[in-house]
Amino acid sequence: MLNLGRLGFLKSNDRHGKFKKVSFKVPSEIKYIKKSSSRILRDLAPFADESTLFDVRLCVEEAVRNAIVHGNHCDKSLSVKIGYWLDGPKLVIEVEDEGKGFDYKKLPDPTDNENILRNSGRGVYLIHHLMDEVEYNDTGNRVTMMRYL
Amino acid sequence: MQVRTENKNGLVVCQVDGEIDINTAPDIKKAFDKMISKKEPKIIVNLSKVTYVDSSGLATLVEILKNMRSYGGKMKLTNLSPKVKSLFEITKLEKLFDILIDEKDAIETFV
Repeated sequence: MLNLGRLGFLKSNDRHGKFKKVSFKVPSEIKYIKKSSSRILRDLAPFADESTLFDVRLCVEEAVRNAIVHGNHCDKSLSVKIGYWLDGPKLVIEVEDEGKGFDYKKLPDPTDNENILRNSGRGVYLIHHLMDEVEYNDTGNRVTMMRYL
Repeated sequence: MQVRTENKNGLVVCQVDGEIDINTAPDIKKAFDKMISKKEPKIIVNLSKVTYVDSSGLATLVEILKNMRSYGGKMKLTNLSPKVKSLFEITKLEKLFDILIDEKDAIETFV
């Protein structure tokens, strides 16, 4: 039996669940970081345990923060586009900014001795360790994060 | 987010409640800056009621640690939840910080 949810996604009574892609945009303001993750977690909650929700929240907030701060330079006129969907056991989340992009391979390893005391640089590292798969588009301004529930 | 401090056996014990993230990190830093300005030599930070930490939160704790070390101060973290502890392990910060199981352990190691 399928129910049309409040946000227009479909829930099924399958063990893993499924919902169609939900997309929304947020302005490049810090206050939208938590608003973005809250929205996704609200939809994901019926399908994931607390540990997964914690990891997903962290990765979404790190990705959105990077998009706002590093991608869009906190320019409120620029948006961050977020999309997410659940396909069986796989949760997919996309975060895209309007910036020039970056090459994540060029980021310094925050766990190296020379970087361990730095005040920044752990966000992307955490995403790569908490998500099962992470992909970037060619430009480097969109990250796709996948987690198997 | 709230930071409560008390003196126990000549040590400062801080209880942090809530989330340590991009929004609350400045308030935590402010609370610790007061203690650092007094050059408190030994601080125990009880994180039992910390429910969430992000990379900004980790960065703030690193900065507090660095500031304390600058005058020879020492900081110990206690009562980390499994989830919060895992973040320290993933980022290898468990090698940088002195992490103890609870306040009692931390107090004993400070003596």
